[in-house]
Amino acid sequence: MVSISQDFAPPFKLIAPFFIIGGIFYILSSMAVFGFGVEELNFLNPTIISFVHLFLLGFIMMTIFGAMAQLVPVVLEVGHFAVELFYAIWPLLLIGTLLMVFGFLYSAQLLPYGGVVVLISMMIFVMEIFMTIFKVKKLNLVMGSVLISNTFLFFGIIFGLLMALGFAGDISLDITALLPAHVYLVIGGYISITIMGLSIVLVPMFTLAHSFSMRPLEIAITLMSVGVVLVVFGSMLGVELLSYLGYLLSFVSMIFYFYIIYIIYKTRPRKENDVYAISLMVSYISLVVALMLGGVYFVLGAEHYLMAAGWLMFFGFFGFLITGHIYKIIPFLVWFERFSPLVGKQKVPMLADMLPPKSSQAQLIFSTVGVVVVAFAIVMQSDVMLSAGASFLVVGALAFFRSMLFMINYK
Amino acid sequence: MGIYTKEEIFAAISTVIDPEVGFNLVEMGLIYDAECDDEGNVKVVMTLSTKACPLHQMILQWVKEAVEKLPDTKEVDVEVVWEPAWNISMADDNVKKALGA
Repeated sequence: MVSISQDFAPPFKLIAPFFIIGGIFYILSSMAVFGFGVEELNFLNPTIISFVHLFLLGFIMMTIFGAMAQLVPVVLEVGHFAVELFYAIWPLLLIGTLLMVFGFLYSAQLLPYGGVVVLISMMIFVMEIFMTIFKVKKLNLVMGSVLISNTFLFFGIIFGLLMALGFAGDISLDITALLPAHVYLVIGGYISITIMGLSIVLVPMFTLAHSFSMRPLEIAITLMSVGVVLVVFGSMLGVELLSYLGYLLSFVSMIFYFYIIYIIYKTRPRKENDVYAISLMVSYISLVVALMLGGVYFVLGAEHYLMAAGWLMFFGFFGFLITGHIYKIIPFLVWFERFSPLVGKQKVPMLADMLPPKSSQAQLIFSTVGVVVVAFAIVMQSDVMLSAGASFLVVGALAFFRSMLFMINYK
Repeated sequence: MGIYTKEEIFAAISTVIDPEVGFNLVEMGLIYDAECDDEGNVKVVMTLSTKACPLHQMILQWVKEAVEKLPDTKEVDVEVVWEPAWNISMADDNVKKALGA
């Protein structure tokens, strides 16, 4: 018999804080959009940098780390090296994120402290993942993607800390030169490759899709990895050509990734359009539009197209991919802990029964409208539309949090 | 000929429901074979819809417990195989229809 780890579902109390805190940061990130002004939207504006860290560290990374506590054994088919370490990761990430968010807004002196605390939190995470990977005898493509993405994260946070020290004036360095390397290592190297690897396990699992070639994913991960390395060296050495080649490769990488997802979508036997499926559709459509806007930016050179592309990548692609999977992961963990011991003894709910239909649909609608309206606001440079979009986002985020509490408290 | 027929064992296993899709394992086509000897020892050969199933161990346990409910069973051995790999064509028509396959 094939032996697979029994540690597939760590205790829910270990993972719940990641999701709850992540959900709160999702609300705060939505509210933060009210603080934007279209005139001041650029990647070096402290308000924008603060927002990016609020959203990426507080919501995206916090939620991904919690999800990884459960998904790593599923993907790697071995138990964690020391899953208890996750009890230390979320408080550190929470404190570090708050210090960085406030540091960018109010006092740069907080940044090194926030950077160090985030660094410690992520180092614990990366080392735990590395030690778990070492237990695997033979790496497949997905396992390899976990290794690659965490290696990029390792370097990404070191770059981030250096930049935080530079921001605070503790060391002298060219922050603008390091920025592309930091952004690409974390967003392209870690978040994108993690999403590529995990989604290729999870999306077919939930849609029951089979018999598709993994070749496009292989190409996508390779292109993204090379692209990230080129951008890092390009920005460090000041060779623009390398950086542009890196941007191009990562752009093509996302097209290959989208292609494999499209094949899975087309051939999936399970065609029901539940909140999970629709969230993923919104997510991948956001990815396509973001890529198109990125292309427009390279042709026209107008920065607001790049800002709109970035917005759609963050709140559209990453955001909906994560909220969609939360609707699968939390019911599973709660069901596993609360109801699986009762199977065969009494009637137990199906996972789908644990979703609140109204608030999950409300989240989907309000968040989608919010993301679209804000994207238009950035392209059309309209402050009024930006505030309107933010209103939708906040209602969507509150509905998401309500859905999450419903699933967690399901009895 | 053993104590229980393949159909009787399948019927026992059909009480086990996959909580994600809401169908039982037999109508999903996940149970490939089952046999019982004269002593009441049962062997079930099955697969899962994905190798990365987080309920892997639990589903095997549920299958074992479902078969053990047949009064004259002794040992129950559940073997998981990955060849042939499961696909939706192995599921019953009602499952395919409900999923929209």
